[in-house]
Amino acid sequence: MTATLVDGAADVPVVTRPGPVGPFVSGISTTVIGALGVAVGLAGVLGSVRSLRIGWLLPMAGVQLDIDRLGGFFIALTGAVAVVVGIYSIGYARHERWSLTTQAMLPLFVGAMLLVPAAGTTTTFLLGWELMALTSLVLILSGHRRAEVRSAAVYYAVMTQIGFALVLLALMILASAAGTDRFSGIAGLHSGVRNIVFVLTVLGFGSKSGLLPLHAWLPRAHPEAPSPVSALMSAAMVNLGVYGLIRIDVQLLGPGPRWWGAVLLAIGAVSALYGVLQASVAPDLKRLLGYSTIENMGLTSLALGTAMLLAASGLRAVATVAMAAALFHLVAHAAFKGLGFMAAGSVLLATGERDIDLLGGLARRMPYTTVLFGIAALGASGLPVGAGFVSEWLLVQSLIHVHAHPGIVVGVVAPLGVGAVALTTGLGVAAMVKAFGFSFLARPRSTAAQLAHESPVSMLAGMAAAAFGCLVVGVAPCVARPVLQATLSSLPAFDGAELSGLGAFLRLPGIDASMSPGLLAVAAGLACLLVLLLSRWGARHRPAPVDAPLWACGADELTSRMQYTASSFAQPLQHVFDNVLRPDVGVEVTHLEESRYHIGRIAYRASVADALERRIYTPALRAVDAGAQAVRRVHTGSVQLYLAFGALGVLIVLVVSR
Amino acid sequence: MTAVSVLAGVTQIGAVVVGSPLVVGLMRQIRAKSEGRCGAGILQPWRDLRKQLRKQQVTPLGTTLVFAAAPIVVAASALLIAAIAPLVAICSPLDSVADLFAVVGVLFIGTVALTLAGIDSGTSFGGMGSSREITIAALVEPTIMLSVFALSVPAGSANLGAIVSLTVRDPHSVVSLAGVMALVALVIVVIAETGRLPVDNPATHLELTMVHEAMVLEYAGPRLALVEWAAGMRLTVLLALLANLFVPWGVAGAQSGLAAVGIGLAAISIKVGALAALLAVAELFLAKVRLFRIPELLVGSFLLALLAVTAANFLAVQG
Amino acid sequence: MTDPVYATLLDLAAGALLVSAVLIVWMRGLTAIIRTLALQGAALAAIPVISGVRQGDSALIAVGVALLMLRAVILPWLLARAVGAEREGRRDAEASINATASLLIAGGLTVAALVVAQPLVALSPTAATNAAPAGIALILIAIFAMVIRRHAVGQAAGFLALDNGIAATALLLTAGVPLLVELGASLDILFAVLVFGVLTERLRRMFGDTDVSRLRELRD
Repeated sequence: MTATLVDGAADVPVVTRPGPVGPFVSGISTTVIGALGVAVGLAGVLGSVRSLRIGWLLPMAGVQLDIDRLGGFFIALTGAVAVVVGIYSIGYARHERWSLTTQAMLPLFVGAMLLVPAAGTTTTFLLGWELMALTSLVLILSGHRRAEVRSAAVYYAVMTQIGFALVLLALMILASAAGTDRFSGIAGLHSGVRNIVFVLTVLGFGSKSGLLPLHAWLPRAHPEAPSPVSALMSAAMVNLGVYGLIRIDVQLLGPGPRWWGAVLLAIGAVSALYGVLQASVAPDLKRLLGYSTIENMGLTSLALGTAMLLAASGLRAVATVAMAAALFHLVAHAAFKGLGFMAAGSVLLATGERDIDLLGGLARRMPYTTVLFGIAALGASGLPVGAGFVSEWLLVQSLIHVHAHPGIVVGVVAPLGVGAVALTTGLGVAAMVKAFGFSFLARPRSTAAQLAHESPVSMLAGMAAAAFGCLVVGVAPCVARPVLQATLSSLPAFDGAELSGLGAFLRLPGIDASMSPGLLAVAAGLACLLVLLLSRWGARHRPAPVDAPLWACGADELTSRMQYTASSFAQPLQHVFDNVLRPDVGVEVTHLEESRYHIGRIAYRASVADALERRIYTPALRAVDAGAQAVRRVHTGSVQLYLAFGALGVLIVLVVSR
Repeated sequence: MTAVSVLAGVTQIGAVVVGSPLVVGLMRQIRAKSEGRCGAGILQPWRDLRKQLRKQQVTPLGTTLVFAAAPIVVAASALLIAAIAPLVAICSPLDSVADLFAVVGVLFIGTVALTLAGIDSGTSFGGMGSSREITIAALVEPTIMLSVFALSVPAGSANLGAIVSLTVRDPHSVVSLAGVMALVALVIVVIAETGRLPVDNPATHLELTMVHEAMVLEYAGPRLALVEWAAGMRLTVLLALLANLFVPWGVAGAQSGLAAVGIGLAAISIKVGALAALLAVAELFLAKVRLFRIPELLVGSFLLALLAVTAANFLAVQG
Repeated sequence: MTDPVYATLLDLAAGALLVSAVLIVWMRGLTAIIRTLALQGAALAAIPVISGVRQGDSALIAVGVALLMLRAVILPWLLARAVGAEREGRRDAEASINATASLLIAGGLTVAALVVAQPLVALSPTAATNAAPAGIALILIAIFAMVIRRHAVGQAAGFLALDNGIAATALLLTAGVPLLVELGASLDILFAVLVFGVLTERLRRMFGDTDVSRLRELRD
């Protein structure tokens, strides 16, 4: 009788395994909540303001919901993402065997995200904000057995709280200066207060959107979260940071001075460039998508800053175009990033791998996922017919039409802005080609990739719905026109926006520019047909087509090891941007025993850590640590001293609040 | 979409399809004659195309639909640009459908298609060519966009018809400082996008020096014919666009008839031939630069384009 | 000469000054740099000639011809002699930072010069003053080139470019410089270049090469 030691019971979840009903209920409820959100949001955008007050939910302040046009836009956007992710999560949760906590948290997370744009007072806003942070933290921790997940969750928790502290400070100053905490009552503030609130909101809301410098949580948390949660976070949650910026800095604080727009533009440009650069060298598929989120939020902030700068310089028609570009980019990004993360989740489910260097050849095993990820990658790269092209075109058009009366600031900033957008697009294409080409094309680079299988129907249905959204956004953007027009009219600097030219042909108000993405797609299709016809010339002389193995340079056959990997693909870019990325490169040469002149093995190791983390966070943390050490000297352990401190504190409070 | 624009569009597409192998043949013949060889004649690329289109279609094992479809996408992108750009007449059929930024994007789609095909082939050469090509393409983007910006300032629009008709009416807008700098920047862009010396050597098959050739190494027969044709079409279309943006002499107006379209066709053929000959002669004196010195060249061209834009914005011509 | 033609020619001359400045920062070979300097001198000399033809002022044209002789022929020839005395392999002007970064900084300096020159241009906007930012940009880029070059002749080239820039700015912003002032400044430059030549010779004799950072070894 042989006794076999069974090793590795660690993968079996300790919690009671839920039946198939749980994921279905959680997914459907997420979808239903999302659909409700879409309905309410659209009603809010196209109709009038609806209010709701629940006094007993929060002591002293109560919960006040005011759904106006700006809030409605974001509620509808979040709801649309939730609808698609809900369907997707049915299959995903079933296969990944989610615990009951995770299943229950998903609809709660969506509900919290819908609460934030609906908030009518600062207290309700902060309530929704914290609920969103808490529920997303619990969802990230659903994989808590792995050390990277725990560390990512710690980063996420700390940075979310830092962001929350900044937002709290900003809203408190705002409310106290205005005398009321209701958003509709805030107006006519002193310029010093406005500047302080602006700076705090840029840091706090920027952190939630992933703008530099408080971005480090994003590339850690988004890969480690379960894929539906990553999709929700990247496609819906980061939008709420931009919502906060627009609500506070554009709507409530009113048209600001030019340096506000310039600051947002600069932060946006730097975030976009840094994010896309890190994405192009990232070896992990979901980390790549996370950095791409930073890039897209940077582009949105760039558009927002351009709009504010141009509005303050008097070029209102052009500023409207820039603002429309910002809002439209949010919609496009939600579509293609949600689809991208869902497809990455599908790959993770099928192979268990996130490392692009170990994937490959999935096009034959998972054809539908390949096509869907291709649509997402096309959208993320900003090429024509893709979802991201129209918003980029709008942004660039607004930047190049400043020549009417430029002024120095605008005249210098506009070309630099165009250069930043262009470089971001170029590097973004490189990153997406890497992600799509090396994960799905050619031959599998590992056994896991060889044994991949297609995803279940519910996941494919969710992804297909998101892909449909991408196609609509890319080819027929005119469907969003009424919503965009209504939203823009609720912002003080852009009311009177006339977007009627955005039909099948995009004709911009006050600008001589014309483009039609739908007709371009049709023309492209016709051109392909023409080329196919041309290639039929001489076809009757051809022998029958045949398949043949590739030339392996004299070896027996091509192994998967002979293929290029994603890291090698990105190596020239990494070399060119060496000074920015500062990769850790190590080459280890092992010589043969018998002779030092002959080499047995060469190992090349390169890792790109987040350079900003090392340059900014580590010194900052060290400074905080040193400060804490200094303060420790005050802790002598004497009880009388502590009592004396307490008494001193009470005295100060009494004096100040006199 | 008037009758003139449809006629012009058909003429442009037809001319590009028929004329691009001739342009490639002309450049090779000039190089051959300068090197003291007989040369194969201007019609040799046509003979090569005919030969390749009658060969057997061989598909490598392990590739996907991307490999098969990429030559079609590249060729289609070149034809699309030929239909958008005002080559023979100012009013191309697709002029209001796409402006210069959309043209840049369509060009990029062609590049991406070939890059994905190189990755799909699953060989080291394919991946290497794709990696180099995407690096160059990503770094040339800022220059292209800023040059387009510089060109759009005098006309107030980035639509090609508007830019060319302004240059026809008022030639001074391109003889200015901004115009000259934009021209130099765009020449570097065309060289980088079409893979000519000093960025890439179109006649080499050495591992250290290939960029475009490495990506298409595994293509054979009809698909190779399409790839070569598409490369020729890209070169022809870009040279024609460059010519008409700066020297639009001879281009037919919006209200012209058949004769004017004929004149426009003859004019653009002469201009493209002259530019191709100039490029071929210039290539005789250049060597390919290292891959990692190409970013220097591209940053230099970016700087020129940036100076062009600031010159257009600030140094307004008085009087 | 009509107004638009005059403005266009001035713009082209200013543009040539700018482009030659960028090329001096970018290029590595000393002979190429000196050829660019000659071109820059020619572009500089074109400015008083164009203005002279426009205003019918023969003194200005004489100044232009004198500048052409001095800055496009004599001074580059002196520098070329200093380079020619070097061994074949040492005719390289290395810089302390790589080419891409130096090009980006040169671009930034140009933008800064444009911003700085705006109040000057706004005082009296004519075609000549509109081209003045190019002269200021040349000054800034030349100083930058002097800072980053390690070879003595490379620094001398930067110095010559600097003086070209000062002269260009003076010619563009004012109505023209009196012949005497121009001759005096040019004589200064001539002496400076001769001193540079002697310095280069001494450096080579003492150290064997002309890397200016070796001068640090003269410390106690």
